[in-house]
Amino acid sequence: MNLSNGLLNLTNWLGNVIMPTMAGLFAAAAIYRFSKAQPYQHLGYAALASLMCSGLLRAMESFSNQASWNNPDRYWISILTLVNWVGNVLLPLYGAGQVVLAVVHFAGLLERMTIGEAWVRNLVAAMCCFGLSGLLRLGEFWIQHGTAGVR
Amino acid sequence: MTLPQIIVDLLTLLFDMAVPAAICTMVLAGIALRQEGGVNFQAGGRFQRWALWSVILLTIPQLLSWFAAQGIAMPAQGGGISSSWVASLQTSFSGFVSNVVVARLTPVLAAFCVLKAALDAAEGNSPLGSIVSAIFLLSASGTVQLFQSWNSGSQFATTDMLTAAWNFLAGTILPEAAGLAIVGAIFNYARHRPFMPLVGSGLAFLSVSAIWKLVQAMAG
Repeated sequence: MNLSNGLLNLTNWLGNVIMPTMAGLFAAAAIYRFSKAQPYQHLGYAALASLMCSGLLRAMESFSNQASWNNPDRYWISILTLVNWVGNVLLPLYGAGQVVLAVVHFAGLLERMTIGEAWVRNLVAAMCCFGLSGLLRLGEFWIQHGTAGVR
Repeated sequence: MTLPQIIVDLLTLLFDMAVPAAICTMVLAGIALRQEGGVNFQAGGRFQRWALWSVILLTIPQLLSWFAAQGIAMPAQGGGISSSWVASLQTSFSGFVSNVVVARLTPVLAAFCVLKAALDAAEGNSPLGSIVSAIFLLSASGTVQLFQSWNSGSQFATTDMLTAAWNFLAGTILPEAAGLAIVGAIFNYARHRPFMPLVGSGLAFLSVSAIWKLVQAMAG
């Protein structure tokens, strides 16, 4: 038996078996909190991240591989690359989401999801409850096709 | 001065028992690892000390050759044990370590660590420390074999082995730990707990050698 293999198998099991399974639980919790008009976004993001454990590790490896192993600036460069990625990839995506939300707010849809008038929220929550498996498959589809962006 | 044969036999016995004793100290290091957290160790703590004893036991002949090079008379090494009861003592000890400690006791200790992991999780604590300790215990004899492969055979074999262990940790184990850090970060994010320390340390796990070079550059 070998310590390195043991830890590698433990990491693979957690990242590739347990976390994708936990994604379903996180998504279910997100739907429940959404139905109660409570903050649910972090659970939705956690479900997506759980499906992407391997990809997130590959991203971190690519951040830290910008410099050679013995370059004293490697850690700084890896953090700098992380900041660049957040600023140039994640924030524009988040910004696009905010534009969509602005349109939805302007249309008045989100007002109907508040506690005072909750029928749209309940309807959407019911649809999500009936279609959780499909939502997970949709997330997996996005992630599998997202690998095309990996360079 | 010629040493009496019984003294020579006892010295040979002690040299022959070094590797089995190293396996025992590695098992004790695994137990100490769980006591110190499982995923971390105390600086100057029992884990470090038992692991250091394993290294010293595995490099006793090379360490003694350094003393011999300083002009200190060292006992001759090698050769067989002529006394039958001393030889049987050596066989008994080796058999005890391989048949009892490695084959039976260590798997039971690892199984108890898995039990502890389940109880840790039931209390709301991370089970990872006990799981990592269980893997360490199960691989104790393999780790000793790995350490033996790092024996440079020189007078400085002890420090060479420690250097190789550091390289193994920095180059093999910590990149695997980065994956565990990602999993932990996602769990912490979902539970509204701090996750950025795990992201930062995951990046650091992938760059430990470079951070060492950075510290060297700062000190130099």
